[in-house]
Amino acid sequence: MNAHSHLPFVMLVRLAWRNLWRYPRRTIITLSSIALGFGLAVFSIGLGDGSHNSMIRNAIKLGNGHITIQLEGYQQAPANHKFLAQGILAQMQLEQLLPQDVIAPRVSLQVLASTAANSLGTAMISVQGEHDPLVGILIPMLQQGQWLEEEDERGVWIGSGMARRLKLKLGGKLVIMAGTQSGDTQAQLARVRGIYHSGVDEVDNFLVVSHLNLGQKFLVTEGGVDSAEPMTSLAIYLTEPSQLIEKQQHIQSVFSGQAIEVLTWQQVMPELVQFIAIDDAGNYVFLLLILVMVTFGIINTVLMSVLERTREFGLLRALGLSRKQLMLLVMVESLLLSVVSLGAGWLVGGGAHWWFSHHGIDMASLMEGGNAMMGTFMDSTIYTELSADRVWQLSAIVFATTLASGLYPAYKAARVPPVEALRT
Amino acid sequence: MSLLKLQNVSKVYQQGQIQVQALKDIQLEVQEGEFLALVGPSGSGKTTLLNIIGGLDDSSTGSVILNNIELTCLKESELSDFRLFQLGFIFQAYNLVPVLSALENVELVTLLQGRPAKECRERAEHYLNLVGLKAMKDRRPSALSGGQQQRVAVARALAAEPRLVLADEPTANLDSENATALLDIMHRLSHEEKTTFIFSTHDQRVMERAERIVSLRDGQIYQDQVKGE
Repeated sequence: MNAHSHLPFVMLVRLAWRNLWRYPRRTIITLSSIALGFGLAVFSIGLGDGSHNSMIRNAIKLGNGHITIQLEGYQQAPANHKFLAQGILAQMQLEQLLPQDVIAPRVSLQVLASTAANSLGTAMISVQGEHDPLVGILIPMLQQGQWLEEEDERGVWIGSGMARRLKLKLGGKLVIMAGTQSGDTQAQLARVRGIYHSGVDEVDNFLVVSHLNLGQKFLVTEGGVDSAEPMTSLAIYLTEPSQLIEKQQHIQSVFSGQAIEVLTWQQVMPELVQFIAIDDAGNYVFLLLILVMVTFGIINTVLMSVLERTREFGLLRALGLSRKQLMLLVMVESLLLSVVSLGAGWLVGGGAHWWFSHHGIDMASLMEGGNAMMGTFMDSTIYTELSADRVWQLSAIVFATTLASGLYPAYKAARVPPVEALRT
Repeated sequence: MSLLKLQNVSKVYQQGQIQVQALKDIQLEVQEGEFLALVGPSGSGKTTLLNIIGGLDDSSTGSVILNNIELTCLKESELSDFRLFQLGFIFQAYNLVPVLSALENVELVTLLQGRPAKECRERAEHYLNLVGLKAMKDRRPSALSGGQQQRVAVARALAAEPRLVLADEPTANLDSENATALLDIMHRLSHEEKTTFIFSTHDQRVMERAERIVSLRDGQIYQDQVKGE
């Protein structure tokens, strides 16, 4: 015999679709539970991504940008004598290379801040001006004072925690001291021009912000030349963060052969990356629970429907439907159930995501214990975020799960011997 | 011309520790175009014999040759194709796919055969017309009476142009009027379409219309009577 059975696609889908709706109430209950579960997972992951991205954005602003350029070895063992001696040259090169992005020169130092009342080991970050994104994020947090005047080389901003510890008020004096590579100590006098409160202890207690000039005075003592604008790093803030790796590689190629490191924010803040990965894992556990629900929902619906139709399968087999076609039919039923559920799930979860991505969720009441972690902070209003990758990832996971859930019922249907099925 | 030939066909079922002999040494030859009734009391082996002829069940011993094809040599997938292209089935009950309309039920087998959709639709309408159900072609089985459902099954069986139609007690669930009407249709179409019919029955009305009656008792043929001989 050369002729073979051929189940046309239209008839296959028609049969599967109508089989699915044979018991509409049961299908609707299963579909709703899958859609609701999936919708919740979409919303929850959107909220998780929104929170993480808020933390990342703030960490990037508070830290050293999306990409950091610094002297080789600085990341492993930061020290005040490791700086870019020809800072201005590097800055000009970068400004030419990345005209759309913000290039912020920085001097970051480990210093001792002292007053008559107390001394505190702190970090001091010196920036070029109020255009620096670090200043931009601190300005709304300013409790007292204002941004430094252009010629104010001694002015500094300190955090509320440091002000309390050093018993400093606006206009108060403090001495900034730093050790040199040769073992000596150098000191500069500074005056408090602003006190901010970020809510992040690491920032409020241990960060002094000044004009670039003040930081560069310490680097000159370490051998830097004033006219070459020495700096410890150049922070790059990308207008298109999705081009991170591409731009990193581009910059690396420009500085190749020089003792310069070009690092992404993930390389500079590995603890934050790790924290987010762990938190993401928690979200995926939630997703896993949803998938278990989806799996059992589909197995329940499709298997029940298969067991109820044993005789009908016998009839179809007697009429000439092959085992493979019967298996395919049941698989298509699972597939349709999963497609409809996913569609409804995206309507529920995607709709909630769309709303909250525009209007945000005010988390202030949940953040009474503080919104700071891992040296950064989360905005009090969280906007849900879902990347295209996430959309595909979530859909693919649930889709694959639902298809896999249909395998057992399909196998069971195909194994029914027609003669036994017809006897039932 | 011989269409079907059964030689030494036996069937033994294992029921727990007990072996049940359902068929014993069946020898049967059926010519093309015959309208044959398998008769006998319940448990005499009628359905088992039909299932074996239809490739739905296998025999314990013996050979079944239909249209020069030895069924016992066919693999599972080949048996499916064999049923699709060589046979038509009419069962006692639950004959139709409930989610398909009468027309779609008739179309289904011809579509499986790979015929063009337009031809399938035309054939389905033609055969529904022959069984007097054209007006009800869009109704689902649940909206048809038992007799109408069986007529759809007859249309489906014939639309596929099978060499042989096997009907297992097709009138068992029908009232007298519907049973007679169905038999008339089957008998007429068997002549018009020159299709061979084998049906099992213990319905006297069916036996009256059969041209050949093969009687089974305890799994054996004890009488083979051709009317008019």
